Amino acid sequence: MPTFVYMSSCDGCGECVDICPSDIMHIDPTTRRAFNSEPNFCWECYACVKACPQNAIDVRGYAEFAPLGHSVRVLREEGKGTISWKIKFRDGREKNFVSPIRTTPWGSIKSPSDYEAPMPDAFKTQELAHEPESLNIDKLPALAPDNLKHRVV
Amino acid sequence: MFTSNPFADLTVFLPPIAMQVYIVLMIVAVAVGTVLDMLHKSSGKFFARQMEKSKAAATRELSGADIASLAVKTIAIEIATSGEFCNPQRRISHILMFYGFLFYLTTTIVMIFGYPAAAMPVPVVFPILWNIGILMILIGGYWFFFFLRVNVAQDGQPIFRLVLADLFIVTLLGSVTFAFIWEIVQTAGNLTATKIAFGLYIIFTTLLFGSVRWSKLAHMFYKPVVAFQRRLEEANGSSSLPMPSTRNEVR
Repeated sequence: MPTFVYMSSCDGCGECVDICPSDIMHIDPTTRRAFNSEPNFCWECYACVKACPQNAIDVRGYAEFAPLGHSVRVLREEGKGTISWKIKFRDGREKNFVSPIRTTPWGSIKSPSDYEAPMPDAFKTQELAHEPESLNIDKLPALAPDNLKHRVV
Repeated sequence: MFTSNPFADLTVFLPPIAMQVYIVLMIVAVAVGTVLDMLHKSSGKFFARQMEKSKAAATRELSGADIASLAVKTIAIEIATSGEFCNPQRRISHILMFYGFLFYLTTTIVMIFGYPAAAMPVPVVFPILWNIGILMILIGGYWFFFFLRVNVAQDGQPIFRLVLADLFIVTLLGSVTFAFIWEIVQTAGNLTATKIAFGLYIIFTTLLFGSVRWSKLAHMFYKPVVAFQRRLEEANGSSSLPMPSTRNEVR
């Protein structure tokens, strides 16, 4: 189900352009509002739907189960750490879902740029930058060579 | 320099009646452009259809007082303080341009129609407000143009690749920039430079008000309608958005 933008609600902030992992949310050169430039390449991750502060992005349901007259709307509440979905079917039925997004306050997780740059020696290890401390564990579980199948090493 | 009527000195080569006719023509151009824009986008039909849908899906009846209160909130938040913008920098830039444009436009009309002759002393407040308006537009406008335009800041387009959406901001900035230059060279007493700067000012101003059909100027008329409609839908229960969650997951 690819996404689309209600042009009358969009204020052209660009949050969806920043967050789209497929790089298909772009700015219309005539209206300076966001639009999904390649709905067929949409990963359907709905990152843009959840990120839009104006609730201007909706989901175009597939015709098999949500034909004309449906709507799939989402409300993200950062303060409460929740995301609510409202699905309206053409026959008038309505389904509502509320899911937790996170349990810590919005903005409290350090972004990668907040960490110090890794030392050159860190590139020789198998861990990613700042692992395992950033995962709040002492050591990453790993198989020792003698645990592996014969001839793998 | 900032306390005298800049239009009064123009009477050396431009009669006041010509300036007054020009203002009327620009008002007509904005009205015609807005109507053409509405016809082209079917905005009127769209809003009427949204209103009907909202009425049909309403779960609560709103009284006249409720609707009046929603209208007041729309005026106070979305119109007066540009509350629609989630990005505070864009909001400040928009407020600067909005009030700057109001000061500039109102004082221009007052000075041209109220004090057309060079001999008529104009209250100092009007030229000062005219200049403050211009400065507000210049600050808010150039800030927006160079740093805040979403297609440049977020979409990574080059600053000087102009698109149709830039028509409004470019003509607005062109108009007030040359208005400011014209005022400076006119005060310095250079007639040739005054004529050139004033000519460029008129070209950009004509483009600004004459291009409403293609530019974003018409948004100042329909954006408040959208904001009011959204508030109405939330209040009468017809909004398609989910109800706010009653759970709080943040610990």
